[in-house]
Amino acid sequence: MEDTSRTELLAVAAENVTFSYGHRQVLNGLSLRIPPKRVFGLLGANGAGKTTLIRLLVGLLKPQAGSIRILGEPPSPRLAHRVGYMPQLTALYQELSAQQNVEFFARMYGMANPSQRRQAVEEAINLVGLWDRRSDPVLRLSGGMRQRVSLAAALVHSAPLLLLDEPTVGLDPELRASFWEHFGRLTRQGVTLVISSHTMDDAAHCDRLVFLQDGRVVAEGSPAELRAATGTSDATLEDAFLHYVRRG
Amino acid sequence: MSWNRTTAIAKRVISQVLRDRRTLGLIFFVPIVVMSLVGFSFADQRFILDSAAPALLAVFALFFTFVLTGVSFLRERAYGTLERLLATPVGRGDIIVGYLAGFLLFAGMQSLIILLFTILALQVHYQGALWQIFLLLMVLTIVGVNLGIFVSTFARNEFQVVQFIPLVLAPQIFLSGILLPVAQMPWYFRGASKVFPLTYAVEGLRDIMLRGMGLLDVLPELGVLAAFAVALIVLATGVVRRA
Repeated sequence: MEDTSRTELLAVAAENVTFSYGHRQVLNGLSLRIPPKRVFGLLGANGAGKTTLIRLLVGLLKPQAGSIRILGEPPSPRLAHRVGYMPQLTALYQELSAQQNVEFFARMYGMANPSQRRQAVEEAINLVGLWDRRSDPVLRLSGGMRQRVSLAAALVHSAPLLLLDEPTVGLDPELRASFWEHFGRLTRQGVTLVISSHTMDDAAHCDRLVFLQDGRVVAEGSPAELRAATGTSDATLEDAFLHYVRRG
Repeated sequence: MSWNRTTAIAKRVISQVLRDRRTLGLIFFVPIVVMSLVGFSFADQRFILDSAAPALLAVFALFFTFVLTGVSFLRERAYGTLERLLATPVGRGDIIVGYLAGFLLFAGMQSLIILLFTILALQVHYQGALWQIFLLLMVLTIVGVNLGIFVSTFARNEFQVVQFIPLVLAPQIFLSGILLPVAQMPWYFRGASKVFPLTYAVEGLRDIMLRGMGLLDVLPELGVLAAFAVALIVLATGVVRRA
């Protein structure tokens, strides 16, 4: 197990975070330490608290108890330019083209220099393989293409931390593989990725994982460590997930 | 506030509407249809139309801008783009002022169309300067845009925004002196009429169009309308929350 106790090195540190929507408790004293320059997977069933956790990390929600630090600071608009956020909904302006959407979010992230911004937009759209469709309105793009535009909008300002909420949902296997190749390249460049998912395909690509259940962390480790903990030599990640979730 | 972000939001709102040809067409076409129906139904009673024109201008300018902005801002929430925007370093003031600037272009053109159609096509007789009438309508339009943004934050879907239309606009229409002079209302309705921006817009427009007064004479009404506009900007900014 790697040492993640030194908070100054952590990309994300959450301590005893509690959050509820009305009477429904979604996160229940959740603690998490995410080291930098890794792909960190938040795995859990629907309703486990993944999206709520990501929204708390982005600063869209405030914890009712506990504390969160992102890159050493509490989440705030001041910190927002150092974080790229891809929400679960594609959240794009349907009438605008892919390029206009990415360009708009680049400006929102404070990229004021037009030539630098143009280059960053071009790179982000190229990275997701949509340069040929850059002028098409988003509403004329397929679901997978919209996901790619959404990812480009999160990548455009080259943030050191990316919080991606189920980025691979609805993608075909080839596209999913290309997303993961790109995520790998980003971590080698020093970017930290926090990715929520409920599929074991995604989990296998992560450097470290947490399994979430009912707003709590039930297990944490590398995919190999989590598989090994089941005590079965040929256990899959799905076996590991079920092992921890059933144990609760 | 950031000038770069505010102008980017305004530009984006304008681009969105310009790319949506059907919405663009409806923005300009619907006020003409409605004003035609109203105007030509009074074709043989010019006096009634002349005296009702200031109120009709104010009601339709407020109605169309409120609906246009209310539904558009709601879409920001429903499609998740507002949440995404709030995850960037953008300030709430940037969002509201950018949105206001973007929609003011279309809402202002809508108000101008209503005014010119009333004057030129329906041939309503009026006194006072046309630019002064338009200025008062524009301040009311700013109120309508901000009211739309503010109210849409309490709605979860388009259906709920539509439900807010009678709730927000009907009391103003009934109590702003359009149907019955405010002075002839019971004291409690007279008091209530003072909290509605439409009351001041109708009174100001009547002063200019029917009584031939100038802008200086309607400064109190214009001032109250401007205060409503500023208050609604502050309120709308307050309800757009990051966390």
